[in-house]
Amino acid sequence: MASNSSAAAAAAFFGMRDGDQQDQMKPLITQHQQLAAVALPGAAPAASSQHGAPPAAAPPAKKKRTLPDPDAEVIALSPKTLMATNRFVCEVCQKGFQREQNLQLHRRGHNLPWKLKQKNPNQVQRRRVYLCPEVTCVHHDPSRALGDLTGIKKHFCRKHGEKKWKCDKCSKRYAVQSDWKAHSKICGTREYRCDCGTLFSRRDSFITHRAFCDALAQESARLPPTSLSTLTSHLYGATNAGNMALSLSQVGSHLNSTMQHDGGHHHHPSPDLLRLGGGGGSSSIAARLDHLLSPTGASAFRANQQQPQPAFFLNAAPGQDFGDDQGGNGPHSFMQSKPFHGLMQLPDLQGNGAGGPAHGLFNLGFFANNGNSSGSSHEHASQGMMSNDQFSGGAGGGGNGSEVSAAGIFGGNFVGGDHMAQAGMYNDQAAMLPQMSATALLQKAAQMGATSSPNGAASMFRGFAGSSPQLRQAAPQHMDQNEANLNELMNSLAAGGGVNAAGMFGGANGGPGAGMFDPRMCDMDQHEVKFSQGGGGVGGNPAAGGGGGGGGGGDMTRDFLGVGGGGIVRGISTPRGDHNQSSSDMSSLEAEMKSASSYNGGRMA
Amino acid sequence: MIHQQQQQQDEGSSSSVTSSPLQNFSNMPLHPATASTTPPWMLRELRSDERGLCLIHLLLNCAAAAAAGRLDAANAALEHIAALASSDGDAMQRVAAAFAEALARRALRAWPGLCRALLLPRASPTPAEVAVARRHFLDLCPFLRLAGAAANQAVLEAMESEKIVHVIDLGGADATQWLELLHLLAARPEGPPHFRLTAVHEHKDLLTQTAMVLTKEAERLDVPFQFNPVVTRLDALDVESLRVKTGEALAITSSLQLHRLLATDDDSTTTSPTAIDKEKRRSSPEDSSGLLSPSTSRADAFLGALWGLSPKVMVVTEQEASHNTPGLTERFVEALNYYAALFDCLEVGAARGSVERARVERWLLGEEIKNIVACDGSDRRERHERHDRWAARMEGAGFGRVPLSYYSLLQARRAAQGLGCDGFKVREEKGVFFLCWQDRALFSVSAWRGRRYD
Repeated sequence: MASNSSAAAAAAFFGMRDGDQQDQMKPLITQHQQLAAVALPGAAPAASSQHGAPPAAAPPAKKKRTLPDPDAEVIALSPKTLMATNRFVCEVCQKGFQREQNLQLHRRGHNLPWKLKQKNPNQVQRRRVYLCPEVTCVHHDPSRALGDLTGIKKHFCRKHGEKKWKCDKCSKRYAVQSDWKAHSKICGTREYRCDCGTLFSRRDSFITHRAFCDALAQESARLPPTSLSTLTSHLYGATNAGNMALSLSQVGSHLNSTMQHDGGHHHHPSPDLLRLGGGGGSSSIAARLDHLLSPTGASAFRANQQQPQPAFFLNAAPGQDFGDDQGGNGPHSFMQSKPFHGLMQLPDLQGNGAGGPAHGLFNLGFFANNGNSSGSSHEHASQGMMSNDQFSGGAGGGGNGSEVSAAGIFGGNFVGGDHMAQAGMYNDQAAMLPQMSATALLQKAAQMGATSSPNGAASMFRGFAGSSPQLRQAAPQHMDQNEANLNELMNSLAAGGGVNAAGMFGGANGGPGAGMFDPRMCDMDQHEVKFSQGGGGVGGNPAAGGGGGGGGGGDMTRDFLGVGGGGIVRGISTPRGDHNQSSSDMSSLEAEMKSASSYNGGRMA
Repeated sequence: MIHQQQQQQDEGSSSSVTSSPLQNFSNMPLHPATASTTPPWMLRELRSDERGLCLIHLLLNCAAAAAAGRLDAANAALEHIAALASSDGDAMQRVAAAFAEALARRALRAWPGLCRALLLPRASPTPAEVAVARRHFLDLCPFLRLAGAAANQAVLEAMESEKIVHVIDLGGADATQWLELLHLLAARPEGPPHFRLTAVHEHKDLLTQTAMVLTKEAERLDVPFQFNPVVTRLDALDVESLRVKTGEALAITSSLQLHRLLATDDDSTTTSPTAIDKEKRRSSPEDSSGLLSPSTSRADAFLGALWGLSPKVMVVTEQEASHNTPGLTERFVEALNYYAALFDCLEVGAARGSVERARVERWLLGEEIKNIVACDGSDRRERHERHDRWAARMEGAGFGRVPLSYYSLLQARRAAQGLGCDGFKVREEKGVFFLCWQDRALFSVSAWRGRRYD
């Protein structure tokens, strides 16, 4: 029967394709699932009308299995066709048949005219293979097509169909009636007895029990996983919806768990962490975007772009939880410093710096903001004022008023806001930045070893020594220091000798920039490069303001040692002269710095 | 003084000096102007980067001297290091302090009597302390958390729709990782499986604690759960005691454990690492390779036994470093680079004065450094090897690669970014995750399966 009926069915589909059942075909097509039994001739690349189906599959793609017969006809049936029962109805007695051939045989009994489709003996019968219409199913691929029509029907019912048949005894469900019948016959007839004495009627519950039953002596022989579990894995694996739900829920739960972790380690399990984290993240994206955009050189655009960033701070700073949660949130502070990181890593900005004052000045202003916000830990309003002055000076040159106000509010907020702890975190960050990491030092050492020139080493050391006071100064400046010391340092370190804020910040920022800017460090790891470039850019600007060699900003990378006694080096060498004089102050500062940081640590713990 | 050292080294053990640029650096006179009279760090207070370079220089010299058995030179270098290093300074100072202690122990091995009298009382940290330090490390350096999350994701994906899930933890995993897996399993769309966790650990207390936490949570989530503690050292583990049963889907995870199986008695006979010994070992490579083979075969045998359990998935997290080279200098340079990166990471993650950080550095990383530098033979258990070596071993034992999923990569990347610090990165190569600090890979996470599931 099988060969006969399948031939008949196929014939029916061919008939449909020929157009005598167009009306039946249309709704199927609109169902967004292909119906047409498309015979794809092995050699001819017939137009594959189905979406999703691999084109022609003429030589079926050799994936996992190869078709036994590469010339086989690949047939795709619609789900409706596959699920259909008794599509062919006798007009006399209304009896339905699944296959037209059977109907024809039935009509013979009514003495109605009947006709069986004959096999054409001349035409070589090609093997037919059937695709599963479910796009996500492995059998949707022509290379995995199933070999017979009954097989594809049962496959489709079992894997993608509703399980309509339920066993009364064990309430197991089946999609295919014959499966259900086969199960019903044996259900409850077999018993599984565990060594602990429990009886089971079903194998899977028995296995589940055995896996957990400690009374069970260990088995030496191991079998592959049960057929049941593989079956279910197929069922679940085949439905994509399940997978997606799974992954979605994972996202959720993972988010939750990471949140919990974050909260866990910083002893501040607060939902604000997440919110602020999001904010920080987005603003850093903005910074990066900005960074990407900047090569176009559109300065106006740039200015607009950066506008939202201070705004972010503005919004965030007065926030109620913002200050409260600051206590010891490491990541928090990083997030906040991110935008300023983003600004720092604008190498092109540095390149253009000499030409476009607006860039440079804005940059400077931003740094001033940072200095200011950390300076607020001193709770000296004058600090805020100072940086405002400085900034407005800079911005005035740049001709960009809106930024000034933003920065002003920003500074004021932090000063007035009394965000001690938050500023403290800034301090850590700020203090850390100018210092080289152990990794960077090792790389530097390796590079020095690679060049292996004693003179180079010596000169490098001198170069470092030169910038040292500034590096130090940058750190303690943010710390909770006593004011006298700070002022003294500022005085001694201000590049131009002036006590004005611009000078101070110029000195502080220029130091690390120049000091780090060593040709040998050019191919340091990314982090360092970013930093030194940013620092260099900033360092260049105060120099420009003071009438120094600001034009060198772009080429600093290469020229640093070569320039020798140029403007940049002058900026460095000035504070070096003061180094010995102020060293006592600095050592005391350092002691305090340590105590301050341990104080922070204590708060964090 | 530096010059003297230099000359000694030049005539003494040029053979032990590798060609790495760092080694060249150790040969460079640091400060030609002042070296003849006083080392630069005696003259004035140094800046952190100058000090760092000096420390590297001294450490390398000291390691070379210790490797060659020139104890006086090592002693001199250590003296200078002690002046500059500090266990509560910057990252370089801290890492230098840890390595200096390790080198001192190494040098002291020449006098076993002194060694016993001095070092035994200062025993290694208690298991509880190590556990605490591990905890802090997880908190401060999120690498292992990321690795744990990736492992969980791999297990979850492999166990999809399995009804009985048995996970064997060969040690190293934190209870939080299993809590997370419990949650993931409970949230499965097909419903939670029966979940059995077998944890292998040396110390019973830790296991009972974990068991308590997990059973409580499993009860809350209504996940059928069973905890099966196996109290043993990994190298003494009997695979039978894992009680793998028919019909359960098996997953195995190992976090920073497998390298311990590489420990052998290869050089336990050489109690005093003199130059002659070094020479002898160098001159007979076939001898050393003969000594190395049992180590590999033991690890191989263990992996083979694991393969025999036919796990659906095995997730291996290991240090991405080559700390299993026989020569001390080579090992030292590699370890210095590796731990410098970790200490940098801690520098960003914690304040200078943080107690947690100090514990991590002393009880966890410091102990590892000590073990790598000062120990030899079967005592040297921190034999980290790079992923390619592990891949060869796994494949040799019959395991096939399972690429970690793209989803899991996204998740890890997101988590790394969520830390808000630029330093943490996740690099993916052929389905293997490398957890990086800046550009340096520090840990690798890879997934494997028994071939029979192919």
